[in-house]
Amino acid sequence: MYVKTLGVVFAKPLYATLFLVISFFVLSVAIMLPHVGLIRTLWQYESVSVVEILLLIANLYGSLGTNFTILSASYTVVIALLFGMQVTLLAYYLKSIRNKATNLTSVGASGVGGLISGFFGIGCASCGTFLLSSILVLFGAGGLLAWLPFGGEEFGLIGIGLLVYANYLIIKKIDAPKVCTS
Amino acid sequence: MEETTQKQTNPYLIPAAILIAGAFVAAALYFGGSAPTPVAVGTGNNQPAVAQQPEPTGSTNSVRPVTSEDHIKGNPDAPIKIVEYSDFECPFCKRFHDTMNEVMDKYGDSGEVAWVFRQFPLEQLHPVKAQAVAVASECAAEQGGNDAFWKFTDGYFDVTLTNNRTDIETVIPQLVKEAGLDQAAFQTCFESGKYDDHIEADIANAVETGGRGTPWSVMIGPDGKTYPVNGAQPLAAIEQLISIAKNEQ
Repeated sequence: MYVKTLGVVFAKPLYATLFLVISFFVLSVAIMLPHVGLIRTLWQYESVSVVEILLLIANLYGSLGTNFTILSASYTVVIALLFGMQVTLLAYYLKSIRNKATNLTSVGASGVGGLISGFFGIGCASCGTFLLSSILVLFGAGGLLAWLPFGGEEFGLIGIGLLVYANYLIIKKIDAPKVCTS
Repeated sequence: MEETTQKQTNPYLIPAAILIAGAFVAAALYFGGSAPTPVAVGTGNNQPAVAQQPEPTGSTNSVRPVTSEDHIKGNPDAPIKIVEYSDFECPFCKRFHDTMNEVMDKYGDSGEVAWVFRQFPLEQLHPVKAQAVAVASECAAEQGGNDAFWKFTDGYFDVTLTNNRTDIETVIPQLVKEAGLDQAAFQTCFESGKYDDHIEADIANAVETGGRGTPWSVMIGPDGKTYPVNGAQPLAAIEQLISIAKNEQ
């Protein structure tokens, strides 16, 4: 039933496009976050052309293969797809229930929690190059990473779990028939 | 009769939640990026396990000038220098080491690019071993010069299992032997603690330039402009950056 619902939503070009755009955007943010400093630096150098910066950014997409573990690269892609799916389903659902009051607290909390958790797991946790390690180090707890079995990548997996749950909730809502009760 | 009951909710809840998430991530980036990494340095030689805290400048312009004291692969007078701050037990440093060797294969012979290796052992993540190998590499350099340093370093990155899984008790003596160094003299140097300050200075400079993890590199262009290179960037990106730096002349 849920697969059928997904088919109905994603068969529509508008929602399929929204899904691809959101997923690509989230994936791009995840890949480019470590390189924000470099891109900003190049932007400040007036002699560097926009084309050169765009070429560099295109090349930096390759860091998904070099700057991530196989596990973190995999869940980064999955998180991007799941988040794209969530936004798309949400848009579809909101349109279908327009003007009807509803409660999306659990969907929103799970989805946003999944995204945050997923971002925490991104990157080279074992070498301290990304969000989680930066935050832990900020609070003097960088050594915690060494104690985590997957060096912080657990957060990516938790993110996937939360996003899957959020998607499940929203598909269930889309599927829920509008019935009258006495 | 009434439609299936659904609780009334604020229509702005989801957009607000997404904004909060974005703000959270942005805050993490901002604070993570502006604060220096308080890397603790366990020297393993009875030194206090606390690093000197440099000023939190976080600017690549703070990169210490390259001198003959540095470990340099390629032409020391190359117009483009890539100063890498590395941890011998970091898996991404191992990966980036291969990338940098490819860069040097392509740009080293022509003297266009020089690779400068500086120490950035992350004691909190790779306790004892990363620091020990950093010391060992300095002792190799002391005894056998630049060639011995690079032979040791290339050899270590070839065999390391990374993430503190390397059996350094076996690997270091083996590499010392392969480099043709005197084992006894090496051991004396290794246990002396004489390079602890040097390594701490490298770490402090890495942090001063904005390094929060490894590998962290600063590319210095022909005109002195600096470019931050965070993490193990792919070869194509490094080549593109070299091209940009060359055009800046």
